[in-house]
Amino acid sequence: MLANSELMTVSTMLLMVVGVVAGLIAGAIPGFTIAMAVVLVLPFTFGMTAVQGLATMIGVYVGGLSGGLMSGILTGIPGTPSSVATTFDGFPMARKGRPGLALGIGVWSSFFGGVISAVVLVLVAPQLARIGQEFQPWDYFALMAFALTVTASLAGDNMVKGLIAGFIGLLVATVGEDAVVGVPRFNFGSDAVQQGFAFLPVLIGLFAFTRLLSDVQDTKKAQENLGAHSAESVRIEHMKAAKEVLSRWGNLIRSSLIGVFTGVLPAAGSSISNILAYDQAKKYSKEPEKFGTGTIDGIVAPESANNATAGGALIMMMALGIPGDIVTAVMLGALLIHDVVPSPTFIAEQPTIAYAIFIAFFLANFIMLAMQSLTLRGFVAVTRVRMYMLASVILFYCALGVFALNNVQFDMWTLFWFGVGGFVLRSLGFPIVPIILGVVLGNIAENALAQVIAISTDPMMFLTRPWSLFFIILGLFSSFFHVYQKNRSIKRWTLGFIPAMCLFLSIPVFMMEGVFRPVLGVGLGLFGLYLIVQRARSGWKLPDAEPVMEVGDL
Amino acid sequence: MNRINRDTIVAIILLLLVGFFAYSSFAIKTPVFERLAPGQMGPGFWPRIILTGLAIMGLIYLFQSIVNPPPPGEKRGGLIGWYRHYKNPIWCFAVFAAFLTIIPVLGMLIAGIIFVFSLMTMLGPKDGLAVKRHVLTTFGTVGGMWFIFACLLEVQLPKGQLTSVFDEWLLVNICGIVSSIGELFADAGPSCSALMPSV
Repeated sequence: MLANSELMTVSTMLLMVVGVVAGLIAGAIPGFTIAMAVVLVLPFTFGMTAVQGLATMIGVYVGGLSGGLMSGILTGIPGTPSSVATTFDGFPMARKGRPGLALGIGVWSSFFGGVISAVVLVLVAPQLARIGQEFQPWDYFALMAFALTVTASLAGDNMVKGLIAGFIGLLVATVGEDAVVGVPRFNFGSDAVQQGFAFLPVLIGLFAFTRLLSDVQDTKKAQENLGAHSAESVRIEHMKAAKEVLSRWGNLIRSSLIGVFTGVLPAAGSSISNILAYDQAKKYSKEPEKFGTGTIDGIVAPESANNATAGGALIMMMALGIPGDIVTAVMLGALLIHDVVPSPTFIAEQPTIAYAIFIAFFLANFIMLAMQSLTLRGFVAVTRVRMYMLASVILFYCALGVFALNNVQFDMWTLFWFGVGGFVLRSLGFPIVPIILGVVLGNIAENALAQVIAISTDPMMFLTRPWSLFFIILGLFSSFFHVYQKNRSIKRWTLGFIPAMCLFLSIPVFMMEGVFRPVLGVGLGLFGLYLIVQRARSGWKLPDAEPVMEVGDL
Repeated sequence: MNRINRDTIVAIILLLLVGFFAYSSFAIKTPVFERLAPGQMGPGFWPRIILTGLAIMGLIYLFQSIVNPPPPGEKRGGLIGWYRHYKNPIWCFAVFAAFLTIIPVLGMLIAGIIFVFSLMTMLGPKDGLAVKRHVLTTFGTVGGMWFIFACLLEVQLPKGQLTSVFDEWLLVNICGIVSSIGELFADAGPSCSALMPSV
């Protein structure tokens, strides 16, 4: 009730509307990511309450996820990576003379995907959070390590670079006074650095600054219009589109669940989920050959999946205190600014904020539906802006926003130096997301380790506590998941990967309290054994190579 | 066969940096009056764990770069080619650094106007029409943002040593008018400032 009363005020609703519109605009501009929009909104939220700030950011998040479809469908240029797969069928449908229907299907799929993931969020997050309350410092530290490992492993071929990036982020977080005794570290005599780096300048420097400079690197591209088509004659066919989407409920639910699941994985965001969902929709379709020519299923799948990813990412953020993607990493930073420390006990300790997030996410989808329909022409007009002008203005805004945080000019220099560092690292092929996650999780992980050592110096506790062991095993297997995926159906050892993972994971699950989880552990172990027996019977024969769908294939 | 490539150099620099930070971590001393209790983690412990991980990864990276060198990238024609490739980002950084340097002298507003206009003109076309467009966009956007932060959010933006009188005049006249209008609304009904977050 308290969450409701805090959220259902005129000012908070207006802020959410502004947030959704800002997200839709940002999403509509090719090259302007949702994360950047959320990062740029962050300075405005300092003066708000935590509920208002998070509601605004959720508005931007949901708006951004949907905004990309407009430029994707009308111009063939996806506004954000989340809408890449939408263009495969959305653009051909628009070119066939049905842009209104294509937009309508995109809008309604986004809406239903968002609502489905909101329902999953409300149902799953509190249950997961109950599990989170069992966590002791060992488990929490192992969870942090797991989150960083998965993030780094998503760097694909550059896993080593991803891990290096994660460690760099952790190292950045150690600069300044340590949390235990308050001793300055790595400040090299500078009083300004002694306080440590503020999170926002580091984040904006690494992410927004770096991204903008990459966008203007090519002078010719920087001077071109981002999208030059007009939408003056387009009308969204709402009724027909809603009916078409609902009649494809199987695809809608499957794609939404793919989105939620992808969101739950740390750092695997909507840029992956939309392609996975498209791939699955094509595989399950009775007419796969029609994909790419303007089929409705080809729009429903990516658009419902990318909006549903937000729910999954929020589940992880709220239930376990680790970010599901870069946007929720920013939200964690926003929570820290409001003195709310994200942890597995977040929902129990901060029920007002937690339930406000649930409601805000639900509402944001309705606001998105309304705003997208009302202001379609305006959003498309925004895509006519030139990148170099946008970059110049945003760089100034970054400096202004960063200064507003603490009224300290040093923060603007922090922004500058991290911008330089981020650009250099990015140019050298290091992913930026693990660095940001390292910065966000660094202090939390250090505090968890300090608690671990204060209680017991026995490292075996990491292996004897079920949850800790669970995350260590999961982290190890996920580290090698990319290698497994690359060699699947090619090398024989890959046949043992999944059975081995099931068998190893069954041990900590079996060690857990209660009846259900040990039974689940036995089941998992038996499933692993079944797979081994099955594969041994077939003589460990490799199946025919199944083509793995890549972005380039689509 | 020449095995020195870009990744090898980066890995060596990384390992040198790790060594430097590891050396510096031993300079982190706990003050005498803050004697650590038994089982209490020292301030240098966590950074050393991170540096150990970074060193291991750096070594793997170095090993990979030697054993399995990356394919040669596009030839950029030496230093001049490299400069041409990165010209825009380098100038953006330079102009941004200049902007930060002149803020204490000219204040956020004027420094911001100079920064945005310079950057637009440097990155964009330089014909008369484009420059006019840059001037208009610069004044509109920088002025608008200054107004939002200084007047609506009441952030104390940096004033310049040379322009403090002008900055003060702007604050009094422009923000003063806004607050007068706000007060009028406050007298008439529910405050519109309630809709605005204050910093």
